Amino acid sequence: MSFGRCFLKLPYFTNMFIVQVGALLIALTYYTNAQTSVVAVNTTIPGSEQSASGLRQLAVAVVPQSSVFHPSLRSQFSLNLLSAFPEDLEVSNYCVELLAIFGQRYSTYVNCLVSAARPVKVCQNCYGTYGNLMEIYKNISDQMGPGNVSCRDSLLRSDRLMLVFLLYSNLEDIWTASECNRCVSLRHYSLTNDTLYFMETLNQSLSCFEKYQKQGNHSELCTECKATYRGLNELYSRMEKNHTLCIDIEDSMNMTRILWSKDFNCSFPRAETVPVIAVSSFMLFLPIIFYLSSFLHSEQKKRKLIHPKRAKSNPSFINIQDKFS
Amino acid sequence: MANITKKVSWSSRGDESGGGERTPLLNGSEEVRYTRQVGLAFFPGSPRLYEQYRWCKSVCVCVCVFQSLDYDNSENQLFLEEERRMSFLGFKCLEISRWVICGLIGFLTGLIACCIDIAVENLAGVKYYVVKQNIEKFTEVGGLSISLILWAVLNSAFVMLGAVIVAFFEPGAAGSGIPQIKCYLNGVKIPRVVRLKTLVVKVCGVICSVAGGLAVGKEGPMIHSGAVVAAGVSQGRSTSLKKDFKIFEYFRRDTEKRDFVSAGAAAGVSAAFGAPVGGVLFSLEEGASFWNQMLTWRIFFASMISTFTLNFFLSIYNNKPGDLSSPGLINFGRFESDSVAYNLYEIPLFIVMGAAGGLLGALFNILNYWLTIFRIRYVHRPCLQVMEAMLVAAVTATVSFAMIYFSNDCQPLGPDQSEDYPLQLFCADGEYNSMATAFFNTPERSVRSLFHNPPGRLFYNPLTLSLFTLFGILLAAITPNGSVSVRGLYGPHYGGGIVRMTLSLTVIMVEATGNVTYGLPIMLVLLTAKIVGDYFVEGLYDIHIKLQSVPFLHLEAPATSHWLTAREVMGAPVTCFNRIEKVGTIVDVLSNTSTNHNASLSSCRSPLLGKICGLILRSQLIVLLKHKVRELARSRLTQRKLQLKDFRDAYPRFPPIQSIHVSQDERECMMDLTEFMNPTPYTVPQETSLPRVFKLFRALGLRHLVVVDSENRVVGLVTRKDLARYHLGKHGLEEMQLAQT
Repeated sequence: MSFGRCFLKLPYFTNMFIVQVGALLIALTYYTNAQTSVVAVNTTIPGSEQSASGLRQLAVAVVPQSSVFHPSLRSQFSLNLLSAFPEDLEVSNYCVELLAIFGQRYSTYVNCLVSAARPVKVCQNCYGTYGNLMEIYKNISDQMGPGNVSCRDSLLRSDRLMLVFLLYSNLEDIWTASECNRCVSLRHYSLTNDTLYFMETLNQSLSCFEKYQKQGNHSELCTECKATYRGLNELYSRMEKNHTLCIDIEDSMNMTRILWSKDFNCSFPRAETVPVIAVSSFMLFLPIIFYLSSFLHSEQKKRKLIHPKRAKSNPSFINIQDKFS
Repeated sequence: MANITKKVSWSSRGDESGGGERTPLLNGSEEVRYTRQVGLAFFPGSPRLYEQYRWCKSVCVCVCVFQSLDYDNSENQLFLEEERRMSFLGFKCLEISRWVICGLIGFLTGLIACCIDIAVENLAGVKYYVVKQNIEKFTEVGGLSISLILWAVLNSAFVMLGAVIVAFFEPGAAGSGIPQIKCYLNGVKIPRVVRLKTLVVKVCGVICSVAGGLAVGKEGPMIHSGAVVAAGVSQGRSTSLKKDFKIFEYFRRDTEKRDFVSAGAAAGVSAAFGAPVGGVLFSLEEGASFWNQMLTWRIFFASMISTFTLNFFLSIYNNKPGDLSSPGLINFGRFESDSVAYNLYEIPLFIVMGAAGGLLGALFNILNYWLTIFRIRYVHRPCLQVMEAMLVAAVTATVSFAMIYFSNDCQPLGPDQSEDYPLQLFCADGEYNSMATAFFNTPERSVRSLFHNPPGRLFYNPLTLSLFTLFGILLAAITPNGSVSVRGLYGPHYGGGIVRMTLSLTVIMVEATGNVTYGLPIMLVLLTAKIVGDYFVEGLYDIHIKLQSVPFLHLEAPATSHWLTAREVMGAPVTCFNRIEKVGTIVDVLSNTSTNHNASLSSCRSPLLGKICGLILRSQLIVLLKHKVRELARSRLTQRKLQLKDFRDAYPRFPPIQSIHVSQDERECMMDLTEFMNPTPYTVPQETSLPRVFKLFRALGLRHLVVVDSENRVVGLVTRKDLARYHLGKHGLEEMQLAQT
């Protein structure tokens, strides 16, 4: 999915490319001027001892006179050196702000999702937070900030990882997979009427279940709640046809059905074994009767042998046979 | 045929003529160590079809019903003249029209496949819907046995429709069709097998029987349909509809027609399995004796067009015009995920599977063999045949219902509603009976869903699966019109056990699964299945060909037949005419040799006592008589020149001799046969061994081979039937006696 998205945005990338190459050139000149800072950047890469030592060797090869390169000194260097990028490579304040808001809303939504995971209520509980998240992402990707600053390039696609985009697209995938769009109208920040109606019907059934369950009599429950339960089932299949089901409704319906058939044992019993067996065995006997009767009564086909005309009278023929035997 | 030799004794129960069953072939030569047993061959099938053919007494030594096709061009003077007249451009045009015909064949075959598919899907859909509604209703209120009866009645009704048209209108359309086409490509002309009527009946029949729930498939009928289409299109006319488009007249002879029929068969395979290469190889495997590269290329073209057409129209039907990725009626879908990759250690497993498949296939074939014999013997009246088919359909429904009823295998409904007719029955809400899904589907579809259940979700449990398979096999075995479709069903291993085709089946399977990686396993499986199956019983098609006692020429002559010479094999005496013969004589000979199915007559020069100078066919003589009788009465100068076209117009249904009236005056006229006879027929000396004669027949596609003595005098004539009689049985070489219905 995300691959496809990247693919679609390829024209942007080609535009961007020139800018990036320019930036790269500037950066290169900068790097050659300040070798020490390169070393510093290198050493800040956390990793296994091996790669660190490898890098160190490389650094030694490049900067043989460097005496500052020592493991014990590593902690003295800090990330602050990154802020030494020139102005035009810097992420604008506006974007940093947006990023912070994005992070906040992101974590709110994820928290909400996790808490609504079982039983599934991700649509009805979290559509608000998802709407917020979507809004801020739209701000990042589409809108121009003050002074015609666009955060799209600086936040979304200036590196290989494209973390912000990746994070967002993951959540978007969850949203799509749960089909929440069918239950929630994001424009109005509310659940759809269908969903609300379904919830209402579901509650009726559940309360009916609860009522009779307390009496501990399942057979009574089966007869008494059948009407509401069937109404619920019909509503569900109607919604299924109209494609207005989301994961919340599906899950709650599933739970109710399991309750109904497994816990209360209200599904149909296998009651007519005898007639079914009787009719089947009658049917199975029919061909046997048929074959027997056709065996006994049908006239058998007669076949006449044909004596082919051969060169039997040929005198030399016997000779050949003799010769052979 | 060895097993037939012994088992066939039932045929002579109360049949006095059966007394000769074990008599040695040669009277008075009992002391010869090489006693040859005499088997019997029968003509099964509808008596109505064959009753008209009577045994001919004189010249021909052939089985009357089955004629050979003449793949050898008669190079008479007319032919040479026509060739001279034809320009270079004319030949180019011929080549182009061959391509056009192949394209048309592919197109029409694809179209037919598409029609069959859509019709079956809709009819079966209606049936399943009705039954499902009914079952759902009665699950609640009780009375499920009524649903069972409803299902059985629906099945029977569909099947009755199909069986009635087949049994009463065109018995030639019965059965799978593959044996018939195999015979046709081998060079045997089976009456009415490539007629338009047969095609129509076949298509309706297959739609009805698949919709009626019989365990049959579409590949046999598709191959047959392709062949009929090819035979029809290439002739540019339809004798059934009495319409002549006056095109493709050059192709009105056996050689050209056979080429197109093999293209049609390939197109049929390609449409049925979505396997163009497999189709070409099928034709190659079945008709391999007559082959050339250009033909292969054209046949491949026809196959490709057929798959494309089917795809194209199905995509329109499925509202996805232009999506050409659903080839074939019977495909197993695409295997894409890595989970179906195989490993080295699995290869012995494949071999075991193949062996099991071979055993199952042999079991199937034996069952089918016995039932077919029983049917030939007792169930031969059309109304009985219809009744049998209906009963089998009812039994199919009953077995399915019982299995669904007693199945406890419930599965949760899929997220994507991949089941067309989920039936809940006694399962919990939100679950469905997985056995019902297997049965509430056309066979191919259930196989596809079998292969393509989403990974991680156990779709069928093994018990369900094995029961389904077992009953499928049994049902298919008892299914009349004996179809072979189960092959498509239970995967390559079982199919390999049944049909024993190797190369083409492997390629078809590889193409149908769309995965070349499986080439080796499929091949291994087929190889083992064939070996194991061959140990017990022959392939299904061969069994059927034998039961129909078709003079089928196998790849090679029986192994121990070198001591047999042409003299012993040939039919004699041969009717000879003079080069210039009296009309009366010709008419008499033709009438005496009765029946419109006759072999050939050779034209001999009388003064030298039958020194051979040419070969003329009965059909040619009849055409000559028909056209020339009147002109001969007048002066020879005003006579219209008879052309090759006149012969072609009469092809392939030559009028019987009785329809030609010759007056007393005309009988006295003389007729010059020089122009029309084939002056250079193939001849062999008397001492030629059987395998040598066999090779000539197989390689050249001959119909007659004249046997001459040292002075080039005609002593006999070898036809296909003379060769096909010999079989290698358990007691050495055996000869089948010819019989008649």
